[in-house]
Amino acid sequence: MGTEGEKLGMLAKDFMRTNPDVKVKVTPIAWDVAHDKLITAVAGNKTPDVSQMGTTWMGEFANTGALDPVPDDIDTSQFFEGARDTAVVDGTTYGVPWYVETRVLYYRTDIAKKAGVTPPKTWDQLQAAAQALKEKGGAKYGISLSPNNWQEFLPFVWQNGGDVIKDNEMTFDSPEVVEALKYYQRFFKDGLTADSVPEGFDVTQGFVAGTHPMFFSGPWHMSLIEEQGGADLKGKWDIAPMPKKKTGTSFVGGSDLVVFNGSDNKAAAWAFVKYLLRPDVQRKWYATVSDLPAVQSAWEQGKLATDPHLQLFGEQLKDAKSPPPIPKWEQIASEVVNAELEKATVGGESAEQAAKNMQQKASSIGTE
Amino acid sequence: MSAAALEHGQAVPRRTVWSRLSRHLTGWLFALPWLVIFLVFLAIPILASLALSFTGFGIANLRDWFSADFVGLDNYSKLLSDERFHKAARNTAIFVVVGVPLTLASGLVAALGLNQAIGRFQALFRVGYYLPVVTSIVAIAVIWRYLLNPDFGLVNAVLGLVGIDGPNWLGEKSTALASIIALGVWRNFGFDMVIFLAALQGINPVLYEAAKVDGATPWAMFRRVTLPLLRPTILFLAVITSVGYLQLFEEPFVMTGGGPLDSTLSVAMYVYEQGFRFLNLGYASAIAYALFIAIVVLTFIQFRVLRSDEYV
Repeated sequence: MGTEGEKLGMLAKDFMRTNPDVKVKVTPIAWDVAHDKLITAVAGNKTPDVSQMGTTWMGEFANTGALDPVPDDIDTSQFFEGARDTAVVDGTTYGVPWYVETRVLYYRTDIAKKAGVTPPKTWDQLQAAAQALKEKGGAKYGISLSPNNWQEFLPFVWQNGGDVIKDNEMTFDSPEVVEALKYYQRFFKDGLTADSVPEGFDVTQGFVAGTHPMFFSGPWHMSLIEEQGGADLKGKWDIAPMPKKKTGTSFVGGSDLVVFNGSDNKAAAWAFVKYLLRPDVQRKWYATVSDLPAVQSAWEQGKLATDPHLQLFGEQLKDAKSPPPIPKWEQIASEVVNAELEKATVGGESAEQAAKNMQQKASSIGTE
Repeated sequence: MSAAALEHGQAVPRRTVWSRLSRHLTGWLFALPWLVIFLVFLAIPILASLALSFTGFGIANLRDWFSADFVGLDNYSKLLSDERFHKAARNTAIFVVVGVPLTLASGLVAALGLNQAIGRFQALFRVGYYLPVVTSIVAIAVIWRYLLNPDFGLVNAVLGLVGIDGPNWLGEKSTALASIIALGVWRNFGFDMVIFLAALQGINPVLYEAAKVDGATPWAMFRRVTLPLLRPTILFLAVITSVGYLQLFEEPFVMTGGGPLDSTLSVAMYVYEQGFRFLNLGYASAIAYALFIAIVVLTFIQFRVLRSDEYV
């Protein structure tokens, strides 16, 4: 999918050289249509042998019964824990993480210096830093948070020691979630972040201009900032790990690899998956498309082991979680979490009420 | 009666039936290409979605279609208590009730103006007003998203020149739907204008001359001559525009994603979300049928109200 689909042919060629009896055909599809295409493939029983799969789609596709469970000879402890969990549905592992990404704090060092702040390590420091960047640093906003994006909000719940689903029960109304909501809400109440994010908004522009001096995002923003900021911004920004409450947990995303059980070549399919998971192949893949390896041992050599920014991502990946892989997650995330989060941040609803609504609505959608 | 006569008597109708049949057959053969496409791509999916709307069809039924539960009218009764559906229905209703008259009025005013204008300006304005109709909606929506951007958008920059601090058009609940309506009107009135213009040029000038002789003011001429003669055109445009507006989708989809706080969520968008994002295909079909019924009812009412020919 996307760049991966265009470049995977290269690895497939290498694989075929050592496995001459297997022929791998790569079909690239664009990310924005990938979900629909795979759904259609399942409905028509015309599934590919192996597919890349967005980590948040796992619950849905496992639920169709079209995925083949991972064979025992793949050691799932080689992956980052948070990434591995994306593929475990009802106790069965239906896929393996291929590459990962996680979110860290991006901040402008020059504005921070002017405002006299050091990279925030705790919740309180983050709040204070945002305040200072705005008031003393002269930035338009202190930080850029989305009023309605669960991916930005859930890490705060996890950092607070909470979760939204535990043992198949919704726990949106737990005190940890309410407290996280209140904390998140304050950035909006105090005017430290913009109260709406236009469709298609990219924070890079605001970050380069200095209006949005802090934000949370994944590794892709490093090259975006370098591109758009140019020489002027060199040395004026840095990244830092997630702030801590009880933990400093972040969000983990990326892609998994799955094998469909309608495949006639399951053995060969899993062999190809195993090949893609080899540490040297994972490193080669990083060198080709900059996707961070999901296999931990791949990080022990080369640029991944020496570059300080990459190392920070590597460290953050050890404390990163993903949303529960339940079939209805997409609906719960969008109709419930995003909608109620928006009501709490900009719609004037109290944190308690928002948490209560989330619990009630999510429960009526259910985990099945 | 002889056997021969009997035979003869039967033979005539038989031949007629055959010739009529073969004539029909030729007709059907000509219609066949369209008919096949209609059946395969329209009739069957339409009927299938009607059937779907009575089931709980979801992602788990994708591989075995007939494993979906029959739920009767559950999907429809769920609509009655679904807050988001109510919101979507209200937004769509506002879009139609405000947008359709505005579009028709703008189209009529532009057509009247063009009808008076002469020479090359007429062509220039006609093209200018019609251009948005034939431009890709996605391109338009993306451009408008920039124009309405609160930080670097042209609209607020112009307002700033005259000292008005423009709102965050698409980001605030109070202005988002209004912005979408404005975009819809701007984009669509060109079509209405062209039709009105054709209708205006079809009005016999003798009628105006006669009215002038009788001493009618321009307003009276418009009110008593132009409007009544435009009635069929108004009906046609009201129906076409309403049907289009009830299916509002692209504008909010590209500009706001339905937000903020669902204030620009339309029924068609909700169908899309339930069907293709959440894969509740049974429920999505029920919403689609509710929309279909609304379109039929509205069209029926418009025919009733606008058809009566009291003036002509």
